Formats: sequence, structure tokens, C-alpha cells
Amino acid sequence: MSRIIVVTSGKGGVGKTTVTSNLGAALAKLNRKVALVDADFGLRNLDLLLGLEERVVYTAIDVLAGECRLAQALVKDKRLNGLFLLPAAQNRNKESVSPEDMKKITNALAKGYDYIIIDSPAGIELGFRNAICSAQEALIITTPEIAAVRDADRVIGLLEAEGIHKIYLIVNRVKPKMVEDNKMMSVDDVLELLAIPLMGVIPDDERVIIATNKGEPLVMGDEDYIPTQAFMNIAKRLEGEKVPFIDLLSEQDNIISRLRRMFGG
Amino acid sequence: MVVDPKLSLDWSSDTPVSPLVERYSQIRLKQEGDSWFLVLPNQSELEGKSSWSELWQELKHYLQGREKSWQPRTSVSLLAQDQLLDVQQLQTLAEILEEAELCLETVVTTRRQTAVAAATGGYCVEQNKLSQLSLTPGLDTTTTLAEPLYFNQTVRSGIELRHEGSIIIFGDLNPGGLAIAVGDIFVWGRLRGLAHAGAKGNRKARIMALQMEFTQLRIADLVARSPKFPPKTDQSEVAFIAGSGICLAKAVDFAKTHKFSEQYGIWIDR
Ligand SMILES: Nc1ncnc2c1ncn2[C@@H]1O[C@H](COP(=O)(O)OP(=O)(O)O)[C@@H](O)[C@H]1O
Ligand SMILES: [Mg+2]
Repeated sequence: MSRIIVVTSGKGGVGKTTVTSNLGAALAKLNRKVALVDADFGLRNLDLLLGLEERVVYTAIDVLAGECRLAQALVKDKRLNGLFLLPAAQNRNKESVSPEDMKKITNALAKGYDYIIIDSPAGIELGFRNAICSAQEALIITTPEIAAVRDADRVIGLLEAEGIHKIYLIVNRVKPKMVEDNKMMSVDDVLELLAIPLMGVIPDDERVIIATNKGEPLVMGDEDYIPTQAFMNIAKRLEGEKVPFIDLLSEQDNIISRLRRMFGG
Repeated sequence: MVVDPKLSLDWSSDTPVSPLVERYSQIRLKQEGDSWFLVLPNQSELEGKSSWSELWQELKHYLQGREKSWQPRTSVSLLAQDQLLDVQQLQTLAEILEEAELCLETVVTTRRQTAVAAATGGYCVEQNKLSQLSLTPGLDTTTTLAEPLYFNQTVRSGIELRHEGSIIIFGDLNPGGLAIAVGDIFVWGRLRGLAHAGAKGNRKARIMALQMEFTQLRIADLVARSPKFPPKTDQSEVAFIAGSGICLAKAVDFAKTHKFSEQYGIWIDR
């Protein structure tokens, strides 16, 4: 049985694409066969984050138009066994895709993959509807900011109305020091408001941005990094493993952990 | 003391009555004896205010959150008023009802086109003149309150609950969420969004929450915004109209300490 999971948020720029790419890589590392679907038509960038941009030949639109087979459009990641990307068309009018189209694609993918992870666009319009229409589960990404949390709440309401009840929360870009100083909402504050199960907490970390720019999901690199562990933990929790949450405050980058890394410890 | 001064609110009575009052109830499910009716707003009520897709969205939330007091497969008559509905729209509506274990059986309409669409879709049709429709016994509720609406989940941002009676929410009313009741509002959780009780002008209406952290409260035509630094209290509180506008008091004592003065239209000390 394959699982179809949409990664969504309402607000833009909170880390949907970052989570999708890293989670895909993390699940592939756990020996799962994963298809990442870019549903952000018109603004594709999942291929960029994965460093697969130059290998994209066909897109989902070409598949729907019958111009190629689904297998031809899927880009295989050469670094990690089991990781595949179905790119979105960048130049096409996003109105040219309907929820029915998306269902066709995900149903076809469901036959060959353990996980189908759909990267949703921001907003709650057609693009969002396309992204959620075939999903059985949803990962809500939010940052600990009031506007992002409010949008997440709205999106959860819409998902519930669509009959999607397996909805999990990922809080991204947490700055433990700021939370400690009462300058940022804590994960508990966010949880209290959204009232859905927590699947992961990812610290704000410049290495995430560096990895993005390199086109190599963080998870593919050094396993010691806290954000890497956070992504791996999300994958493990999805797999049903009980993994305790990392205490971000005590795990802050101190000199010792830096030294340990320098000497390969 | 009517209100602890710490709790008095930044209020104003000169704010115009919210247009929300007029659209407090766009779509609703009613029981009359053994029969169930889904009532659509008429065209003039809906005019330019929301689209069908918004209306369907609203209906979905409403049916999901509402306490199910009906048997599975209960049949429902749609009172479509003067709305134009095509086969596709009726189909969508039937599907939404089906998810709530309700079964669209009859369509009551004043429009020929809707009647034709309903017949094509295989529903029983009653084509009614407007006047006859409003004669349907018990459907006019301008004077009496409807049964309370029990809503069994969190009212999330973007969800709007409107009801002609009192509203009881088992869960939080989140920021960006909205509850508008002609009667009272009870929140069995945190009230962080916007609540409007007595939406048709009843100054006796109250709003109670286990925890008051509202963005805005309205009772009848009065508005209270949340103070900049709301005092934190673990007590449940009730909001009501007093001489100075909307006030908060400890909910536990309220019934003992206050009574409503019909003469002044405010709650006063006993
Ligand atoms: N945990 C993080 N720490 C630091 N930067 C992050 C983190 N998560 C995301 N970012 C950055 O935020 C920006 C937006 O992320 P992206 O995944 O594209 O968001 P979305 O897909 O929701 O629009 C990117 O530049 C990304 O590198
Ligand atoms: Mg994105």
C-alpha cells in the first residue's frame, strides 16, 4: 500500500519545498521507494532544490497531454536509490491542470511507489486543490509566526472539510534562543492553537539554505547536523517509529559539537 | 461591583452594526417534526456575498461540526427558494449531504429551471410559489430562537458559524474563526476569534468561554476589542452588556450576581 502525502501550508516561503526534498531523501535512505510530485505549477523549484533541474526533460503536463509516458517524465536521483521526481511545468498556465488530472497521475504512481509526496503551492486556490485532491495524509508546515500559524489553521480546516483527517504538524525555522527569550512563539504555543499531532521540529539553520543553493538536500550530506537529524526523525516517525523530539536548546551548536565534527567524531 | 476594573474593556457603541448580522445564516439544516430541510438563502440574500463554492465549503464545515441528531440515510428536502441550480450543482449538494449520511430526496423551488434540473437528476420536485413557501409552518423563525447548534470541533481560521439560535462550541474558537448567533454563545475551550451574540439585536445575549482571549466580541450592536494586554485569568468568564458597554465577569457567579433589566436593556447587579 502506498501512502499519498501532501506537504502544504497556506503561507509561502515557510519551507514546504525544503521539507519535501529532504523528507523524500530521508525516506529513500530508509530504503523506501519515493516519488516526489511538484504540484507548484508555474513556479516549480522542487527540481532546483533536488539539484535535478538540468535532467528534467518532460513534465506532468506532457504526461497528461499524452506526449510521453509517466515513466519517461520521472527523473531518477542518481545519488540515492529509490528517489524520483515528477517535475511540474514552469511555463504552462497553471489553470491547465485540474484535480482530476492530478488524481490520474497519483493513482498511476501509487502502483509503483511506497510514498508519493506532493509539494503544494502557497495559497488555497486551484493549485492547492490540485495538490490535496488525491492525498490521504497531510503534513502542515508552519514557522512559529502568527501569520503562518493562522494560515496553517485555515488550511487544516479546509483539509478536514475535504475528509482528510490524518493531518500532522511540522514546525520549521524554530530559533530556540528566541523562544527562550520570549521573542518567538514556542512549539507548544503553535500546537495548542492548531491541535494536531506533531511530526517534527526543524531548527532555523543556515546550512539548510546552503544545501538549497547547492542543490543537494541536507539529508544527503553529514548526518550529524541537527536539522538533518530532524528530517530523518520525521521520516522515521512516518514509518511508525517512536522517536523522541530533539531538545533544540541543549543541542545548540556549541564549540564542542563543532570540534567533534571537525575531527570527524 | 459589576465588573472588576481590571477587566473592563475598550469598547465603543458607535460602531455601525456589522453587515455580518444580515448574512448570519446562509445555509442551514432544520428539523420540523420528523422531516429535515436544508434551507438555501434566497437570491437577494446571497447577492454578491459569496459564491457557490464558498457556500458548499460552509455547508461541509457545518455538517461536519454539527452534532448528528439524525439517523443515517435520513432524507432531506432542499428548500432552494428562488436559486437557480443545475444538475451538476444539485449533484454536488447531494454528495456533500451524503457524507453526513443525509439523503437528498426532494427539491422545493420557485424556479422552473431548478425544477427541471431536479427532475433530470432524479429527485422529487415541488415547484412552489414564493408565497406558499413562506407559509410552510414553523419555518419562519423571526420570533422564536432555533434549537441550539452544537459544534463539535475547533472553529478554525476562515470558518464562519452562523445560527439563528444559540451556539455551543466543544473546542476552541481560533483567531480568524467566527461565530455569530442570534442567541447566546458558549465556548467549551478558548475563545480567541470573533464571537457575536444577540446578532439580531438581543441585548440580553451572553458570551461565555472557559478562557477568554478574544480578538473581538460583539453583543447586539456593541463591539468590544481585546485589550492590548489582556489580564490572564484561569477563570471562565462571561461577556454581557452593562451600563458601560460590554463587560466581563467571572462566569461561576454571574447568575447569582446579575439580572437583566428589561427597562434599561442592560445587566445590573442583583
Ligand atoms: N530550517 C530552515 N532554516 C533556514 N532556512 C530555511 C529553513 N527552511 C527553509 N528555509 C529557507 O526558506 C526559504 C523558503 O523555503 P521553501 O522550502 O522554498 O518554502 P516554500 O516551499 O514553503 O515556499 C528557502 O530559501 C529555504 O532555504
Ligand atoms: Mg515551494
